[in-house]
Amino acid sequence: MDAEKDAARGADDEALKARLEKLSGALETQRQQAEAQKAEEEKSVGPTGETGKALSLGFRVLSEFVAGVLAGGFLGWLLDKWFSTSPLFLLVFGALGTAAGFMNVYRIASRPTSTGGDNPRADQP
Amino acid sequence: MAASGNAIDPIHQFEIQRIIPLKIFGVDASFTNSSLFMVIILAAISILMLYGTRARSVVPGRLQSAAEMAYEFVASTVRSTAGEHGMKFFPFVFTLFMFVLFSNVIGLIPYTFTVTSQIAVTFALAALVILTVIVYGFYKNGIHFLNLFVPSGVSPILLPFLVLIEVISFVSRPISLSIRLFANMLAGHITLKVFAGFVVMLIGAGAWAPLATLPVAAIVLLTAFELLVAVLQAYVFAILTCVYLNDAIHPGH
Repeated sequence: MDAEKDAARGADDEALKARLEKLSGALETQRQQAEAQKAEEEKSVGPTGETGKALSLGFRVLSEFVAGVLAGGFLGWLLDKWFSTSPLFLLVFGALGTAAGFMNVYRIASRPTSTGGDNPRADQP
Repeated sequence: MAASGNAIDPIHQFEIQRIIPLKIFGVDASFTNSSLFMVIILAAISILMLYGTRARSVVPGRLQSAAEMAYEFVASTVRSTAGEHGMKFFPFVFTLFMFVLFSNVIGLIPYTFTVTSQIAVTFALAALVILTVIVYGFYKNGIHFLNLFVPSGVSPILLPFLVLIEVISFVSRPISLSIRLFANMLAGHITLKVFAGFVVMLIGAGAWAPLATLPVAAIVLLTAFELLVAVLQAYVFAILTCVYLNDAIHPGH
């Protein structure tokens, strides 16, 4: 009687062990599959995202520079109109505007660009 | 954005058409296709936010999680760039972000009108941002707000030049903010339209017709890219708004 019970328990244990192994094996393969899929997704998304970010940064640099020159020219033109000194202020402010454009670009470049695109002054309170 | 067959005119899509002509005190205040799409954008945002936050369940549904994601994304952007004080301006930044995002994305749907491809719209948004910065900056810091234009640690000889340059740099902000958004949307839509035009021309070119698949493939890629640009530009607009507001909250470099 006892021996029979023990044998039955032993068989049960064996079956349980086998099942456990099978389950953990299945879990492992599933995890690996998920990881592989994730890696693939990242690979397919990565380049476009990177290009997009780089393009947006490039566009930002361009627009900041152009805007500096335009703002300088506009202020100079306005002052010329007020004091009728054309083209004195336009020239002076055009040059200053170019400097301002360079300064804008310098500001963008001097900020550390984190992974989240351009996240300027994230380090400041 | 689909090619219209007979007339391939990449600029036509940006034309303002009056739907209900209206004149108020000699000012042309017609209800145009631009206004119509602004109303559509507002309706879409309202539906998302009002309907999405109606249930307020602990386990959010689809709309609710979209609304919550939008909120959390903008909130974390504001907190990280303008600090905890910046949350005062959260409604403002959120409104701007959602408006720009929805107009960019809705504009990608064929036959729609892209509101942000009009410089008048983007400049109005940028001017609003800068005016807020100036008004709040003077209200909060008084005359000390002008310290924004005075860089520290500069020799007195160079100082006047640098102050002038800083002032010009400040004036250039609304210009760059508006031009960037406007030019991105304009360029993207024109590119798509031009490629669509190639398809029509190649199909009409007899033996060259099989080559028309190339621009079609390019359009598919460009559309995906434009979607990225649309979201990215809305994000850039929001984050730069936060940076400028940060100047008003904490002036002085």
